[in-house]
Amino acid sequence: MFGAMVKKEFLLVLRDKHALMALFVMPALFILIMSVALRDKFAQEHIAFDIVVIDKDNSAYSKALQEKLQKDGSFHLLKKPQNAQFVVTIPKDYYALMKKRVALKILVKASIKSDLLEIFKSKLLRNVVAIEVKEMDDEMKRLSLPQPAKKLSLDYKELFEISYEKSNSIPTSTQQSVPSWIVFGMFFVIIPMSTIFINERKQNTLTRLSSMNVSLISMVLSKIIPYIVINQIQVWIMLGVGIFIVPLFDTPALVINGSIGAIVLLSFALSISAIGLSTLLAVSASSAEQATTIGGILNILLGAIGGVMVPKFIMPQSMQTLSQISPMSWGLDGFLDIFMRSGDAAMVFGESAMLFLFGLITLIISMIILHIRINRGL
Amino acid sequence: MKRQRSIKKCSNSTENSQVITIRSLNKSYGDFKALKNLSLEIKEGSVFGLLGVNGAGKTTLLSILNGLIDFDDGEVIVGGYDLKSQKKEVKSISSIIPQHLAFYEALSVRENLDFFASVQKSSKESLQKAIEINRLQELLSHKASTLSGGQKRRLNIAIGLLNDPKIIYFDEPTVGIDPRSRGEILDSIKSYRDMGITVVYTSHYMNEIEYICDEVAIIDKGRLIKQERLENLLSNKLSDSVLIESVADEKLAHLGLNLLERNLIQTDKSRLCDVLALLEKEKIYIKQIRYGASDLEHYFLEVTE
Repeated sequence: MFGAMVKKEFLLVLRDKHALMALFVMPALFILIMSVALRDKFAQEHIAFDIVVIDKDNSAYSKALQEKLQKDGSFHLLKKPQNAQFVVTIPKDYYALMKKRVALKILVKASIKSDLLEIFKSKLLRNVVAIEVKEMDDEMKRLSLPQPAKKLSLDYKELFEISYEKSNSIPTSTQQSVPSWIVFGMFFVIIPMSTIFINERKQNTLTRLSSMNVSLISMVLSKIIPYIVINQIQVWIMLGVGIFIVPLFDTPALVINGSIGAIVLLSFALSISAIGLSTLLAVSASSAEQATTIGGILNILLGAIGGVMVPKFIMPQSMQTLSQISPMSWGLDGFLDIFMRSGDAAMVFGESAMLFLFGLITLIISMIILHIRINRGL
Repeated sequence: MKRQRSIKKCSNSTENSQVITIRSLNKSYGDFKALKNLSLEIKEGSVFGLLGVNGAGKTTLLSILNGLIDFDDGEVIVGGYDLKSQKKEVKSISSIIPQHLAFYEALSVRENLDFFASVQKSSKESLQKAIEINRLQELLSHKASTLSGGQKRRLNIAIGLLNDPKIIYFDEPTVGIDPRSRGEILDSIKSYRDMGITVVYTSHYMNEIEYICDEVAIIDKGRLIKQERLENLLSNKLSDSVLIESVADEKLAHLGLNLLERNLIQTDKSRLCDVLALLEKEKIYIKQIRYGASDLEHYFLEVTE
């Protein structure tokens, strides 16, 4: 009996083309689009600014500065100012009047935030100072003055050795996007599951099954298994997109540092959580249209709060605290543990337990509501 | 493999050929009393009509008899089983054909039948019988959503036959279908009686009740108003009335006759010859004439508020 119920559920989902699109195509596309779109935003090692240099000085010094900027790697020197983030103007007689400190003029595009401007100023300053130091060095050599014993360096790599603390490491765009949209996609079972369930309620098939001695537990459990399988297929397809498809678009591939067992445990717990919420909506909503609307809004809200739309590490502290109420946030944290912090099953046990508990509670509430509804003739 | 049925039946089982016995049944939804002290007996192998206006309590009664909802107090014995303590056994010997088409539109006819048969552990013979009785052989591979209204109704009924029920409850099974399919369904229901199955039938179409039922009960506001064999009920209302059932003909509407339905003419004995002459002149053929009987619809309207 149970096998027939599970098979029926599979057939109903697999014949719903729109549901399949929402479950598989949508999250895969999101992973691809968001990984590529946020690639530079997440790149920590290398920020390059698009600039235009207008040289009104036309001196050896101004040419040396432009050459230095070109070689720095932090600047893309453009010809036309339309696409530039910064326009740097070297004023006339800049070199000649240098002793009086004539400022370089910098025109900043309106959309540039202050933190980016600070980074730009620091990178530009390093180049300006490097030229001045070289100038002073040459001057000292020319005057046969003694050279300082310690070599002066402005190279970040020589001056700083940067390493990330493991627990605070920041993901690449792919590492952020893949778990985000896996979690979001998994919760999208809310749409097909609630629609099928409500149709069964409305068309009296649930009543008919109840009249055939099919228990409430069988009705609900038979829905859980197909969606767990669908969720697992989703997870591995999305991981495949992150590992194999995203790199084709010049974006870092997904790197899984943690264990496969942890992925299975976490995704299973996420399934239970998503299915519990879907069942609760399915038994509570009065129509398929209502379930689709509420389900869609609920998914987006949980995603927005939980760090799917906007990464949690760039949220203000208060929002980061608020994000903890969303089960999507627990799932996302778990995946980031696995991908970035070499997480194993023990490391994601806490998140998995919370997700499992959330799913269990929502399923129990759903069964109580369904029991009441069936006893009232649905 | 056929389901093993419990042999622990109540002592007052079907000795007096009552397959359903209801005594002092009460059911409330909050403050609303859906059934009030209702008592009823239904004979084994009969086609029993359950009549009542919307909200009279018919659906509540059917839901209780199917074990779908609990009742407050009273006693209900179905097929010899006490409904309160042997709900599972009651469900296994009965089947409800809901008014709404309770199957999966996205599945084929075969998939639907296989699914509901598996759920009830029905035998292959029962499955085959349900297919044949409802003439679904040619439609097995068709997706349920592509069937016509009548074919859908037949599938809906076939699913209800899969557990070899002793009692079948039909909840307005002919709503929204064409006359031919309706006639076929009514004939098939009559054939269930010949197979020894008890049929409990609710409908708003009084002529259907008259056509297929042996006995009727009229329920109003949760109370039993009348339970009687159909012929007794109608003969109690003997009058000068004559009912003439003709073949359907558009001309009927323009002859100035008292039409109860499209092809059902009511007249009194004194005018019968004139009406028959008129029908002959118009070449409208007569199917049957019933003397001295009132129709059920008029009786129903009289006894219900």
